[in-house]
Amino acid sequence: MKPKLKVIGTSVPKQDAGMRVTGKAIYGHDIKLQGMLYGAILRTEHPSAIIESIDTSAARKLEGVYCVITADDVDVNNIGYKRDHPILKKGEANCTRDEIAAVAAETKEIAKQALKLIKVKYKVRKGIYDVHEALKEQAPQINKFISGKFSNKNIAETFHYEHGNLEEEKKKSAHIVSRKFTLPRMTHACMATSNVTASYNMLDKKLLLYSSTQVPFLYQRDMAHALKMNPSDIRVIQPIIGGGFGSKLDIHPFEPICALLSIKTGKPVQILYSREEEFIASPIRQPMEIELTAGVDKDGNFTFREINIVKDNGAYTSWGATTPFVIMQSFSSLYKLKACRFNATAVYTNNVFAGSFRGYGNPQATFALERVIDLLADKLGMDKAEIRLKNANEKGEVTGQGLHYDTCGHKECLDTVIKKSKYHSFRNSDNGTLRNTNKNESTNNGSRFKKGIGLASMLHVGGGAKIYRSDGCGTTIKIDPYGYCTIITGSNEIGQGSETVLAMMASEELGIDLKKIKVINTDTDVKPWDVGVHASRTSFVAGNSLLGAIKILKEKLNKKAGELLKSDDTAYEYENGNIYPLRNTNINESTNTENKASKLTKEIANTDSYIRNDSDFVKLDKVVREMHFTEPNELAVANFFYEPSSKFQDKDFKGNVSGSYAFAAQAIEVEVDTYTGNVKVTDIYVAQDVGKVLNPLLLGGQIEGGILQGVGYALTEELLMHEGKILNPNFHNYKMLTAADIPNIHFFPIETNDKEGPYGAKGVGEAPLIPTAAAIANAVCNALGLEVIDLPITPEKVMKALASKNTETIQTKNK
Amino acid sequence: MEFNIINPVSVKELLGAVKKEKHFRFGAGCTDLLMELRKKPDEGLTVINLAQVKDNSFTGIKKSAKGIRMGAMFTAHQIVMNEELKKTFPVLHDSAHNLASTQIRQVATVGGNLCTASPSGDIACALVALRADCELLNTTQKTRTVNISTFFTGVRQTALKPNEVLYGISIPANHKNTKNNYSGFIKVGTRRSMECSVVSLAYHIQVNVEGKILKAGVAIGASAPTVRLAESACDFLIGKTFKNITQKEKEEFADKVLSYASPITDIRATAWYRKEVLYNISKSIFE
Repeated sequence: MKPKLKVIGTSVPKQDAGMRVTGKAIYGHDIKLQGMLYGAILRTEHPSAIIESIDTSAARKLEGVYCVITADDVDVNNIGYKRDHPILKKGEANCTRDEIAAVAAETKEIAKQALKLIKVKYKVRKGIYDVHEALKEQAPQINKFISGKFSNKNIAETFHYEHGNLEEEKKKSAHIVSRKFTLPRMTHACMATSNVTASYNMLDKKLLLYSSTQVPFLYQRDMAHALKMNPSDIRVIQPIIGGGFGSKLDIHPFEPICALLSIKTGKPVQILYSREEEFIASPIRQPMEIELTAGVDKDGNFTFREINIVKDNGAYTSWGATTPFVIMQSFSSLYKLKACRFNATAVYTNNVFAGSFRGYGNPQATFALERVIDLLADKLGMDKAEIRLKNANEKGEVTGQGLHYDTCGHKECLDTVIKKSKYHSFRNSDNGTLRNTNKNESTNNGSRFKKGIGLASMLHVGGGAKIYRSDGCGTTIKIDPYGYCTIITGSNEIGQGSETVLAMMASEELGIDLKKIKVINTDTDVKPWDVGVHASRTSFVAGNSLLGAIKILKEKLNKKAGELLKSDDTAYEYENGNIYPLRNTNINESTNTENKASKLTKEIANTDSYIRNDSDFVKLDKVVREMHFTEPNELAVANFFYEPSSKFQDKDFKGNVSGSYAFAAQAIEVEVDTYTGNVKVTDIYVAQDVGKVLNPLLLGGQIEGGILQGVGYALTEELLMHEGKILNPNFHNYKMLTAADIPNIHFFPIETNDKEGPYGAKGVGEAPLIPTAAAIANAVCNALGLEVIDLPITPEKVMKALASKNTETIQTKNK
Repeated sequence: MEFNIINPVSVKELLGAVKKEKHFRFGAGCTDLLMELRKKPDEGLTVINLAQVKDNSFTGIKKSAKGIRMGAMFTAHQIVMNEELKKTFPVLHDSAHNLASTQIRQVATVGGNLCTASPSGDIACALVALRADCELLNTTQKTRTVNISTFFTGVRQTALKPNEVLYGISIPANHKNTKNNYSGFIKVGTRRSMECSVVSLAYHIQVNVEGKILKAGVAIGASAPTVRLAESACDFLIGKTFKNITQKEKEEFADKVLSYASPITDIRATAWYRKEVLYNISKSIFE
């Protein structure tokens, strides 16, 4: 029998919530160092131009200016996933973000003024802003730093994957649907704008960076490569981070630029983006065209999928170019599938380049896939819920790509949202009209408001993703002589609440009050290795790492407790700062027959054979003091490095890339106003296989935040561009949704208790937004009887679609 | 963004500042002004901050037999919270309630909304439908009254002279025989808050006990260089019974409203979309 969990599964508020809401939290923008200068960056005036000359003489002469740098003043390496991105541009500009020069000055105002004094002569070029133009033979090569191993000079990266016999499955298909979908640029729009503070010490030649990176150890290495330094001479400290969502996975030019300004001046330098700069110069979700052809046999079994994706890489290659790792996973392995052929090509253009963004290509893939599933169901005349349930993934399944579903809540997620949303009474799946509504005005026959419901599900890594040499995380844990615990974890906190969940785990296992637990996670000089915050991995990987460290520590504590209690028992219970021996009454009883959850979590006590006497204990702090201060004088400290059981994928992209897999389904109800084209999302039913709920409050936050991001992706958010320039670099015209737009969210966590996860938990961070746009698109199609082929579904697009559907109406209105 | 700032605490001091300053802008809630100055710095500018002026005539609200007068510094939040306004002029309440966000409504003022003279001003649109009058006070302490429709002279342009300040806004009382008026503000945009109207329509239609239309005010926003009163559409309604308006009459009404629109295509919407939607929401008043 498992002991009841006391902390895990409860709604503990985020540890730094009080600091954040009272304004006491120290963000990068709040850092002020002695003698600090302010850096500013001059960006190109033209997205594509020859840089004929740069004259910085006037700027250098301005009082208060300490340093002006251009590409000619620095000796650095390129950055980026393909090392195709110069920190400062020389000779040509290829993107509206391009950094031409940088200034460090006493004040922000002087720095800005200095930028105005820099004279750059450009020879403007036409530029290439369309991927298909870029692939034409006569197109000039946009990025000159690539090896040229691809068939076309403007291809940055390609991916090819396949499993099964595609031609055979095509023949078996009763219906085949083919569509091309276009996905927009969406930006993270983090509440805290990009920031970095660099402080170079000329005496020891070491560099200290206060940075909002999500991946401090990769950042340290990339920064060292860029600056031609030794990584260990760079110390990265993360202040409180005001939003990441993937945007801080790449290193961006402003960061080494800030370091260079500090190195040149010997003074600390800070660069803070304005909101406009944030919109222009921070990464985006990669725009792409997805051509999907998919088949189904006469019984409704999915047969094959053939996918061709062209991604607009922009001028330089970021981690965003690797999103096909995730995209192909959904196409190959979401729902049972016999054959799949996948091609993705990232193409250079003079547009802004992408980065990684929550979901990592998966919202795009899921949108295309779930839209086509609706179309296949229509062709078959099959219920849209039924076709999904029929093909849903199952526990024990090994997919064509080699993903092992040791636990799988796919069917249960679908079932839950179908039932909870009363999907079938809401919808008549044959013609998309309503069968049952309460309000007269809501019936779909000729009335203004049309209601619809849509379904979508998703698959995502739930136990990290092995894309780097290690997907691991290190932990050091110590308990001090006063019974306080310090967790030094390699993992980072970017707002997701990992520090709280880790403290909860330690509290659960060690019986220490949460107030006595500190989490140290911000300093590369202190903390052990971790690959970073991405792939919904932190609670899973860092959690397992912590539990491993606790297990080692407990062995030490148990031994000392045994000595003090003069007991030879092996099992102990930790609670209220005390250690209780569990006296064994039945020597033959097996102790962990029902341990289904993590191997690393609470030791299993069979209450039939182990008895705890509440007056029989020793205080934890006493045990620690005795360890420290009596022979053999041992520290109450333990280290552990956890590496997930996942494997690298082979050259064909096959293999079990994650420790576990998360599933989710959403059923979304919309009401479309045919007078204005506005789509109102009324209700979202979400079921997500989270493995195990660790903290309902924080989980709810991930769900709500993710969903609103998904609604934005579906309906309103798009970074608009014209010939390489961003047209809406402000919240006024970039329509990020606000709290007032949150629909009714009905959340149903599905617990599958994966043995790999801490307490059975899986990663949850990205999943909530992944199926949202797909389900909304399906709901809009259901409401209007129209097809959605691109995002966002703006009011204007809806009105245009309605107008072309009914020419008679147009004529009436246009007279 | 740099500017000088003067903080008069009375109307007298305010008029003194207007007289003295050569290059100035008024700052009321500053919700538009600061954004504008950040975008386009104006060297040597003095902002006359109106927020410290204490005179009740400039900040308060007063009811009389003729109607209701609000001081120019009456805030959007105060409009929203005022029960009398909510009951008597629902269109005004709705327009203020739809404005920006709770936080911004605390400082955004009716005077600021009018003097910004944005074609998409929400409170402005409601006040045009209500046929309000603007009270302008000059540095010699003389007032003149202009009807709100003539107050707006172009995109971000008003009838205010350099020596004048918008002092108050008067809304004429409803017709004494009216009951259960049809009054509301329709804002079309993509977000539910922090949204600038893509198209808006304000209507205040006064009916008698039998539902016959006695007076009508219909204004359009974000559809022309200024907020506009759709005069012929208003006239068209007089004498008709609201509930008996036919489909054909609805369409004729919507066409008349549309005739006042000359929308532009910009980043938020095309002219085609604005027209299409304006026509639809005009009809929707009667549905």
